[in-house]
Amino acid sequence: MNVTGEVGNFTITVKEHPRYVDMSKCIACGECAVKCPKKVNDSYNAGTGKRKAIYVKYPQAVPLKYQIDADNCIWLKKPGRCGACVKACPADAINFDAVEHIHEIEVGSVILSPGTSFFDPSDSGVYGYGEYPNVVTAMQLERYLSASGPTEGHLVRPSDGKPVRKMAFLQCVGSRDRNLCGNEYCSSVCCMYAVKEAVIAKDHVPGLEASVFYMDMRTHGKGFDEYYQRAKNESGVRFVRCRVNGVEPEGDNGDLRLHYVNEKGQQIEDYFDLVVLSVGLETPKPAMELAERVGIRLTSHNFAAVSDFAPVSTSRDGVFTCGTFSGPKDIPQSVVEGSAAAAVAAKVLSPVRHELARKKTFPAERDIMAEELRIGVFVCHCGSNIAGYVDVEAVADYSATLPGVVHVERNLFTCSQDTQDLMVRIIQENKLNRVVVAACTPRTHEQLFHETIRAAGLNEYLFEMANIRNQNSWVHTGDKAAATQKANDLTRMAVAKISWQGPLENVVVPITRRALVIGGGISGMAVALNLASQGFPVDLIERSKVLGGNGLHLHNTWSGENVPLRVAKMVDQIIWHDLVTVHMESEVIEAEGYVGNFRSIIKSRNGSELTIDHGVTVVTTGAKRFLPDEYGYQKYREVVSALEFDKLCEINDKHVRKSKSFVFIQCVGSRDSDHNYCSKVCCTHSVQSAIALKEEDSSRSVYILYRDMRTYGQRELLYRKARELGVVFVNYEIHGKPKVDKDEDGFIVEVWDHVLHRPLLIHADMIILAAAIIPSSGVKKLAQLYKVSLDGQGFFQEAHAKLRPVDFATDGLFVAGMAHYPKPVEESIAQALAASARAATLLSRDKMTLDGIKAEVDPEFCDGCALCVDVCPYHAITLLEKTDDKGDVHKLISINKAHCKGCGLCQGTCPKRGVSVAGFSLKQLESQVEAALAV
Amino acid sequence: MSFEPKIIAFCCNWCSYAAADLAGTSRMQYPSNVRIVRVMCSGMVHPELVLRAFNQGADGVMVLG
Amino acid sequence: MMKSKTIGSVLVVGGGITGMQSALDLANAGYYVYLVERSGAIGGAMAQLDKTFPTNDCSM
Repeated sequence: MNVTGEVGNFTITVKEHPRYVDMSKCIACGECAVKCPKKVNDSYNAGTGKRKAIYVKYPQAVPLKYQIDADNCIWLKKPGRCGACVKACPADAINFDAVEHIHEIEVGSVILSPGTSFFDPSDSGVYGYGEYPNVVTAMQLERYLSASGPTEGHLVRPSDGKPVRKMAFLQCVGSRDRNLCGNEYCSSVCCMYAVKEAVIAKDHVPGLEASVFYMDMRTHGKGFDEYYQRAKNESGVRFVRCRVNGVEPEGDNGDLRLHYVNEKGQQIEDYFDLVVLSVGLETPKPAMELAERVGIRLTSHNFAAVSDFAPVSTSRDGVFTCGTFSGPKDIPQSVVEGSAAAAVAAKVLSPVRHELARKKTFPAERDIMAEELRIGVFVCHCGSNIAGYVDVEAVADYSATLPGVVHVERNLFTCSQDTQDLMVRIIQENKLNRVVVAACTPRTHEQLFHETIRAAGLNEYLFEMANIRNQNSWVHTGDKAAATQKANDLTRMAVAKISWQGPLENVVVPITRRALVIGGGISGMAVALNLASQGFPVDLIERSKVLGGNGLHLHNTWSGENVPLRVAKMVDQIIWHDLVTVHMESEVIEAEGYVGNFRSIIKSRNGSELTIDHGVTVVTTGAKRFLPDEYGYQKYREVVSALEFDKLCEINDKHVRKSKSFVFIQCVGSRDSDHNYCSKVCCTHSVQSAIALKEEDSSRSVYILYRDMRTYGQRELLYRKARELGVVFVNYEIHGKPKVDKDEDGFIVEVWDHVLHRPLLIHADMIILAAAIIPSSGVKKLAQLYKVSLDGQGFFQEAHAKLRPVDFATDGLFVAGMAHYPKPVEESIAQALAASARAATLLSRDKMTLDGIKAEVDPEFCDGCALCVDVCPYHAITLLEKTDDKGDVHKLISINKAHCKGCGLCQGTCPKRGVSVAGFSLKQLESQVEAALAV
Repeated sequence: MSFEPKIIAFCCNWCSYAAADLAGTSRMQYPSNVRIVRVMCSGMVHPELVLRAFNQGADGVMVLG
Repeated sequence: MMKSKTIGSVLVVGGGITGMQSALDLANAGYYVYLVERSGAIGGAMAQLDKTFPTNDCSM
């Protein structure tokens, strides 16, 4: 790959490697792989299993087309020698003569997301990896635990297939380690994945003992600490703070012996069936080569260099990065950055938006109203997920006997791309006018099948799913007869329901192409600036007298960038941007509406009210400081919070000047019963302050009392630097909190030392408390106004912890920054940009399509009693009165389909069957109940 | 033969139906006597539906939302 | 110098969860997207994971 040109107009050369399988012909039947004689290690299964030289990466792969691994194919190495796949392929799809193609592509922006690779412990043979078969990596364990993995989810020892009874996780393999591999940074994700894998392994094997050996548990993300505690207290995972000295085989039966020094200082020897290495993340070689060819700068640890205020912009204009390329990070932060990169790429290109986009076209809908029922049923095996526990053949045979059913198919994966093509063909050939898929859950797959039947010329709502996996095969794994019977029943219910379904029309609503951003801190300003630069007008409201939020109290980001300068620059840009209207000292007092059509009333301090119509709402209300109530805070002047200490240092305060000994106490208000979460930024903050103190005067004594040092990612280098400068780190546990006593010379801080195994008395002149970050005041009211939820800690709750990290569950509303969870500047900005990208997917259109599952009035039965009007939570129903020719007044309700969410409270309330939800009508639900009880 | 009740469960798409899906993802095992009817909100379940279910032989009806 | 014309398309290199998110958001905002992936299928590292915290959702 090669990149020439400049921002807005790049020319890229892309090399397409030959697949040796014609994608248009391959039907993914797998015959070729059955016949292929060449077995190779399967990299998808992290080497735990074998695949053939002709293969699909994994069963649900997109595209689901086979490919030949040229490095291992016998024919491609020596033409004429094999060719088994050619003979096996019924579709004549194998093409050994395929050659690579060079494509030249013209684009305006480039986004690099080459991802990560895992540290490979085999080179250094760390902890016997590669020598002892029962030492595996975490990714290998992930595959062993997976139902689609080499052991179908059975946790057995690789050496002899015996069930695992006792396993150990060793943390920080290939991370936080200068000597072994030079990866000095923390990989940020391994603590959490080890906790997860331990919990899931214990779920798989009752009675399994799982131990995690760690240096610091870095569970600093949203909900992570709670999960960690549940793992410890409910699942019974054992956590041991120590570095394991060595792993040795115990005899030749495959058992492994571990030596370590436990928290009490005792030498321990323990035996395990399986040792899992929690390997770290690193930049893959091809990604480094990519960086070189594209001409972007990397950090000394081979991550893409970025600024904290532009976290997805590389050193080359118009080239962006996202995900683990710019540093180790977890799934939600990677998804956030994916959207963030979209937002900054779009900023450059917004003048030519829609110029090149192509619209998906579907054939005209066939009119089926006059047709007899012609139902097609597709029964999915889902590999062995369904077929392993349900007699799918019997279900298919039974389905064929149901009234209206004219065609039945079974598919290995009904959701795969080739099956979609097959379905379209079958629907057209058999003139099907309704389709039932008996497979997994409509919550994840209904949308896909809607598109498929549309492609076949059917109205998308002529479709129903029977959930025979999540609600059947997976929950009745021990009783095939019962599961098969239930699958029959569920399919019969689906067929009965779809028989009463007619075509529905989707609702089209206009979009007000304007955004409301609530909160003018760093995140709110970043959202406003990005959306405005994409050409969308923004109203930014701020409760206080100044813009900047918590950013006004910060000095440096973790990487040392100056915060006040950058915040001042943002404020300046906000004020001068034509498309941003700032409403200072204002708050939302009323809100109504729905995606594309919100109406909010804001009230300013002087009492004036303003109504704003907007299409999207972004909540960036930030968070606030917790005021400590322990360690003598607010009692002694020398006990201060971290932010207060920053201010004192800035003004060269005499207490700081005079002090010779400084003690930082971490987790003040965080990770305790009141605020059961990690505030994420405090460890790094204290370490930075400690470094500054030491650099200014190395004779000062600086202590940091911590529970787990959470300097994640490349921040770990700061932690190392602090130790090298002589900062003393002392670990304490929640049940042994430090004690602070005042004496005539200052303070005595008493803390239990886990290395010396006795209480340590530290003289302190100043004590700096790392106070927690807690939710902003007024969030409850705001959450009620816009009908969004808060999590258990009082932060705003996103739609999905992993995959929708800035969306609210309600469409058209987004969250960014510390309103979501405590986080540092660059993560707030990435989230703000992500929220902007998500908002832009709506604001870039003037109308949007809503689904057709809406309430409908039956004028024959509705007598205008209006019982439904009050129960409708969306105010979608109004009562109309019409006077006919004879002067009689008729009452009838009317439904605003843009407001209607299809919840059917009206249907449940109506005593006369006057209103029902299309797709879930009373008739349909009755038919399902009847079908369920028919046998 | 032992008594095998027939139970109809009306499950809200957004919560209890999702929970039933999750029970599957988590491979939680439970008796196979329940037949789930997916609704967009438990509020759409008309009392008449419940009575009908009993009338047609259901031994129990759950409305979950 | 004449400024070259801005082109309304984006190249995304890497079809893991991050690249897919970028591609989807850009396509939904009216840009043409080229998604380039080294291996034979998109999905990246997340497709290898069995389940994800906290819901134990299958990663697919």
